[in-house]
Amino acid sequence: MSSKVHAAGASLAALLAAGSLQADETLTVYTYDSFVSEWGPGPGIEAAFEARCGDCDLEFVALPGGVDILQRLRLEGEGTRADLVLGLDMNLMAEARALDLMAPHGADLAPLDLPIDWSDETFLPYDWGHFAFVYDTEQLETPPGSFAELLEAPEEVKVILQGPRTSVTGQGLMLWIKKVYGDRAPEVWARLNERVLAVTNGWSQAYFSLFMNGEAPMVLSYATSPAYHMAVEETDRYQAAEFEEGHYLQVETAAMLRTTEQPELARDFLAFILTPDFQRHIPLGNVMNPAIDLGDERPQVFDRLIEPESLTFTPEEVRAHRREWIREWLNASVR
Amino acid sequence: MSGATAPQRWASRSRWPPGLGLAALTAVAGLGLGSLGALLWQARGVHPAALWQEPWLAAVLRFTLWQATLSTLLAVGLAVPVALALARRPRFPGRGLLLRAMELSLVLPTLIGLFGLVAVHGRRGWAAPLWEGLVGSESGYLYGLSGIVLAHVFYNLPLAARLMLQALETAPAAHWRLASQLGLTRATIWRTLEWPCLAPLLPRLAALIFTLCFTSFAIVMTLGGGPRSSTLEVALYQALKFDHDLALAALLALTQLTICLSLWLLALSRGGAPSLVVGSVSLPTGGRWRRRDALGVSRVTDAFWLTALAALLLPPLAAVVLAGLAGLPELPRQASLWAAAARSLIMALGAAAGALTLSLSLLTGSRWLKARRHGAAALLMEGGGQLILVIPALVLGTGLFLLLRPTLGSGWQGYGLVVLVNAFMALPFAMQVVRGALPGLSAPEERLADQFGIRGRVRLRWLVWPRLRRPLALALAYAMTLSLGDFSVIALFGSPSAPTLPMLLYQQLGGYRWQGAAATALLLLALVVLVFVLLGLWTRRPPRYPWNRFAREERHARVP
Amino acid sequence: MLECRDLIFHYDRFEPGETPDFSFSFRLAPGECLSVAGPSGAGKSTLLGLLAGFLEPASGSLAWQGEDLLARPPWERGITTVFQEHNLFDQLPVWLNVGLGLSPDMRLTPAQQARVREGLAEVGLAGLHDRLPAELSGGQRQRVALLRALLRGSRILLLDEPFSGLDEATREGLWALVRRQKAAGAAVLLVSHDRDDIEALAERRAWLESGRLRGDASAQPRGS
Repeated sequence: MSSKVHAAGASLAALLAAGSLQADETLTVYTYDSFVSEWGPGPGIEAAFEARCGDCDLEFVALPGGVDILQRLRLEGEGTRADLVLGLDMNLMAEARALDLMAPHGADLAPLDLPIDWSDETFLPYDWGHFAFVYDTEQLETPPGSFAELLEAPEEVKVILQGPRTSVTGQGLMLWIKKVYGDRAPEVWARLNERVLAVTNGWSQAYFSLFMNGEAPMVLSYATSPAYHMAVEETDRYQAAEFEEGHYLQVETAAMLRTTEQPELARDFLAFILTPDFQRHIPLGNVMNPAIDLGDERPQVFDRLIEPESLTFTPEEVRAHRREWIREWLNASVR
Repeated sequence: MSGATAPQRWASRSRWPPGLGLAALTAVAGLGLGSLGALLWQARGVHPAALWQEPWLAAVLRFTLWQATLSTLLAVGLAVPVALALARRPRFPGRGLLLRAMELSLVLPTLIGLFGLVAVHGRRGWAAPLWEGLVGSESGYLYGLSGIVLAHVFYNLPLAARLMLQALETAPAAHWRLASQLGLTRATIWRTLEWPCLAPLLPRLAALIFTLCFTSFAIVMTLGGGPRSSTLEVALYQALKFDHDLALAALLALTQLTICLSLWLLALSRGGAPSLVVGSVSLPTGGRWRRRDALGVSRVTDAFWLTALAALLLPPLAAVVLAGLAGLPELPRQASLWAAAARSLIMALGAAAGALTLSLSLLTGSRWLKARRHGAAALLMEGGGQLILVIPALVLGTGLFLLLRPTLGSGWQGYGLVVLVNAFMALPFAMQVVRGALPGLSAPEERLADQFGIRGRVRLRWLVWPRLRRPLALALAYAMTLSLGDFSVIALFGSPSAPTLPMLLYQQLGGYRWQGAAATALLLLALVVLVFVLLGLWTRRPPRYPWNRFAREERHARVP
Repeated sequence: MLECRDLIFHYDRFEPGETPDFSFSFRLAPGECLSVAGPSGAGKSTLLGLLAGFLEPASGSLAWQGEDLLARPPWERGITTVFQEHNLFDQLPVWLNVGLGLSPDMRLTPAQQARVREGLAEVGLAGLHDRLPAELSGGQRQRVALLRALLRGSRILLLDEPFSGLDEATREGLWALVRRQKAAGAAVLLVSHDRDDIEALAERRAWLESGRLRGDASAQPRGS
């Protein structure tokens, strides 16, 4: 089933609000749109899950990004249609938890293979990656090897960023800079802003519409992005710059809603997430690192990716300071 | 004598029930004051002064004022030579086209115009190679301050020029005749004829355009939006949408409200209600007389201004049509497009119906009050319809959200709120159109009808309705068009996975999905045109009077 | 007999004891015509408005054969008024304008339609049956209005300068129509300052002065 039909189905279902046409065994999952696009992992995962559960129907509702998923849940409250959300990353976890809408996942965490230890009972990781600046080797021969070098680079080295308020990657950059520079973050922002070509609302605009069209040599993305170009497009043109200060880690999670009418099915899906049937679609579908060890199923090109040191804040720290840090960014940006 | 003076007398009374008007006024005032109260309540903990100390918010306020000022100066300032040129040249090839284009940009939904502007002036637009050739650097002028100002000028210069043209027409023909006879020069004509016509218009016009630019949302969202190019409205939207910071949103809303209110009061105090109606512009009176200033160097300057106007207006409009046509094959494939269209239409109908009901109620109530010599109360009732001019749409929407706390998402409550605010947005215009037609029957006709006892349903159906049909249809068309093309409140309360057409177009423009955007723009434009055409056709059809039937029967009967 | 006694109209609230702006008293018998002359603003429209029911009097009485007319709405008073202009509805054709007098709900029975047709033929307007008023000349429009009044057959006919601006020949035709109504028993009040009109139609003459009727107004009608 193509994502177009999904999009149509999602809209139609949304249009006929209460009293939906849904079959009894439908699992509604809120996620972000690149997950469910044709080239994303969504279609494959859906097919695999539906084969596994037999009579059920998996329905993805596409929202622009992780931040939007959180907002929707906040607005919809207990009346939400969602049974599961997929796409809230570690940095949004604490805020999502505070909504008091989630239920424990009940899955076995043993197969998890992450750079950090994970013991949360509500949010289940399904992939991970490091934020990084991806550069075009044709426009930039020697990339900066650290943040400091980036800030000192010549004028032509422009970057494309995403906004911390509107996108998960943008927020990741904000946390990254904060972790590395602490109180000096505003200065760093001010200097970084001097070489910004554009600040977009979401990752896809930045990556596909601007970076891939050659508008600037560097874009904020993930360390795993080059894997796609190497494996599918068979080109080494796009690579990730490794910074010696370390890279901020992102872990994407899924969780079930406690208001779901399909608790069994939801738990089944969550358990399914840590199986190879789900995870094999992640590396080249979502272009992220799988949450479990796929062994031979992991594409070879992943061996050629950078493996930086991981930086993190705890989710509670993020929640406590997010607004303040965003204000810092805003204030620094208007200087 | 027979027939004592009966205490019972038949009193001539207005037949419109005043209760409706009162109900409408209560609803409007209640919602307006309620939303205001909710905003004040929400913002009570926040100290305004401390907030403006934040550089970012101060920058937002500065930017909002600056872009509005710049846009107003350019739009009004440049409109003067354009209007003068149009008035001076009553006949030139393409004048009709230019005037039509100016009319079109008045009713064009904002996002469609934006689509055209991006197609022409964007990084990959038609003008980009020109710019790069001339200036050398990349064409990035459409984004940020310059882009916002450009878009504002695109939308407001035609409005200003039209109104100035109308103002110029008010000079008496006799004066123009005199000018022709005496062979007055350009400077003299300006001082004695043109400037006196324009001067009274300018303060109100500037205030109107400033308000429009100050509160413009879709344009800033699309062409600006980063921290350096955000306006109050966009900051409000972001506070609500992303941070869920109700207190900040309320504060921003109140700030915007204060500024708009002061502006409105300022404009009012300069005399006259700011009812700037765009009428039809035909051959200017000045043009019938040969003007000495129409020769010589003014040929060149006029040609310059008119060409500049054409260069501003025509390419984006052409781009919309062309790109739209290119997007035509996409249309059937996009299922989400048709769902969005259905949503937009349903909401537009709701908003238009609401606006018409409210305006009819308010106007009939006010007439009833006027007939009873309660002039002040009548003015208050009519003033209620102008609510949206005092409280901008996004502010009203925010306040109502805080007041009513609808559950948003895919339910109808969010959309209901949008329909309500859209109805308020259409209200001033609907009232303007309907007010002129409302008595339906003139005073002599009413006397006639009274005399012969034509009352109630019969009067309404055969005498009043044919008079009201056209104005009501026009009001309906404009209200529907406004709602169809609206992108402000819907951005706040719509749900992104169930968008209306403008919202879908915004998503596509933001995501650089050109094919999709072209198809959406085309469909939106087609719907707008369709609404006008259908309603125009319906009102042009002569009303079905019974005598048409009788006449036909007679004619048949006469044939042997 | 139409009896009007101390019909008072005052612009603001009227306190008893004040001198009213207008006060009218007169009598009019069926088949009679009373002319009222006077400068503009003297109160002719006020008088007609009060009689027809468009204005509310402060006090006074108006009765036809003893029946109080003030309690009745305009369409129940048995009065037809023909104004100087705007007597016809622009959006209705001629025959329906005439037919209004016969049927206020605009549904004419075949018999009524026939009467309209005959009436139009009689006054020489047969060809204009289906036309709209905008296509008629001023004189033709007044003819249609008077025809309507004739067909309606009201007992009281009020004429507010209905012949002004019309040429001699047209006027004579219109006078004939009025005379027919008088013959049928209508009481006619003619407001006009044109001597020819007054001479042709009115048996009694009055004029307005300071808001009061002077002249033949209060005299006993002839033949009583």
